[in-house]
Amino acid sequence: MIRISGLRHGVLDILSLLVPAGNTAVIGPNGSGKTTLLRLLAGMEEPVQGSITIGGEPGGTLTVGWVHEFPGRNALFSRVRDEIASPLQFRHLECDEILKKVEEISGLLGISPLLDREPESLSGGEQVLVALATAMVSNPGILVLDEWDSHLDAHTTAVLQEHLHRTGVRWKVQCTQDMDLAASADTVLFLSGGQVLACGPPGEVFSEHLGSCWYPPSWRWREWSSSLTGQR
Amino acid sequence: MELFFDRAAVSRGGPDIRVSGRFGPGINLVSGRVGSGKSTVAAMAAGLLAPGEGAVIRQGIRSSMISFQFPEWQVTGNTLREEIKSWGADEGEILLRAGLVGREGDDPLSLCRGELKRLVLSCIFGKAWDLLILDEPFGALDCSGKREICRWIEARRSSIVVLCTHEQRFLPRTDFLWEFQGHDLVCRGTMPAALGDWELAPPFVKALLSRGIVPHNISEDDLAEAACRIHG
Repeated sequence: MIRISGLRHGVLDILSLLVPAGNTAVIGPNGSGKTTLLRLLAGMEEPVQGSITIGGEPGGTLTVGWVHEFPGRNALFSRVRDEIASPLQFRHLECDEILKKVEEISGLLGISPLLDREPESLSGGEQVLVALATAMVSNPGILVLDEWDSHLDAHTTAVLQEHLHRTGVRWKVQCTQDMDLAASADTVLFLSGGQVLACGPPGEVFSEHLGSCWYPPSWRWREWSSSLTGQR
Repeated sequence: MELFFDRAAVSRGGPDIRVSGRFGPGINLVSGRVGSGKSTVAAMAAGLLAPGEGAVIRQGIRSSMISFQFPEWQVTGNTLREEIKSWGADEGEILLRAGLVGREGDDPLSLCRGELKRLVLSCIFGKAWDLLILDEPFGALDCSGKREICRWIEARRSSIVVLCTHEQRFLPRTDFLWEFQGHDLVCRGTMPAALGDWELAPPFVKALLSRGIVPHNISEDDLAEAACRIHG
């Protein structure tokens, strides 16, 4: 369980919040505090006031996999292979083991052909895939994805979601503007103006937004389609 | 007024990306998967990338602008005020348009990505351009922001608008559809005739077509109208 108590930090003002383990989608208007919350969960910032625990441990004590909303900004090395290997190299793992893990994660994400490319030469979407591989290569306890999907097409996002489901990472927190993606999460956390507007299963959260642009398009289209089938 | 790709081809470390055809006034949607070459086409159209083969020829185009996928690439000012001034735009008007009134003293890079995208797009749409190239303009915007940008794009139909995006849910009413077949960009034609050939068409468009219902276009309003036709 992610437990937040009396949090005041930047725009965020959250009195009390419990988020179960699993895949959590954080949604909300631009500037509502989504990225700030993700940075706190990843231990990249300390709360000015209040506390955050993840599985009973203080935020920042778990191994964190992080995909930045500007993936190119995090790249340190001039070859994709070295970039993905970097978290393991910094931990001084054996070269053979690093090589094996890099090959595995690259194969899983379908980016083996990119390993000898320069990160700068990649498309925005490919940069995200490399950032995701780099985040996942060290088997993190929590995976934090900050609008990683905004550079990906729907097909690639769907494929990667499948991979993410199979990673076995206990806590996956992703902020997204794709309500169909959010609808596939276990929990949806809706922030607005730094406060929690709703938190719960997707059906519960989105039922309050029927008719607004926050309602998942695929649900709306499915409802249209099923009513068509009903007419036949 | 015309942007002519005369058998233009370029390599960026992967397979050659090839484009042939004429982009005229109207909204030209360039559709394709991650890494297919959308940003490369945008860069060639903007004159930022010279083709290795063939040529990109501008006829009658007196002014052009590109909106990059990553808005921070376009920022030069230390504050929003400086940034807006650098565009020669009216500060009050741009802040209002971007929904950032009161933030004029902030560092643009302190904005969240959606806010930064709105700022840059507001500056770009604050002026008239003969050729307007938009590389993933919807990335990181919330749903109301995406709707707003669709309206802005639709108001520029008398310019040549090259809209490179993988967005499938919030799209402007489009005149010409271009799509990558592998790494070759081909013109599918005008709307709505082009819809039947659109391989990466949004699922709901495909669902409508499979039932013999052809939307007039691909905007939210057009799809809603087509859905109403389902229901008679």
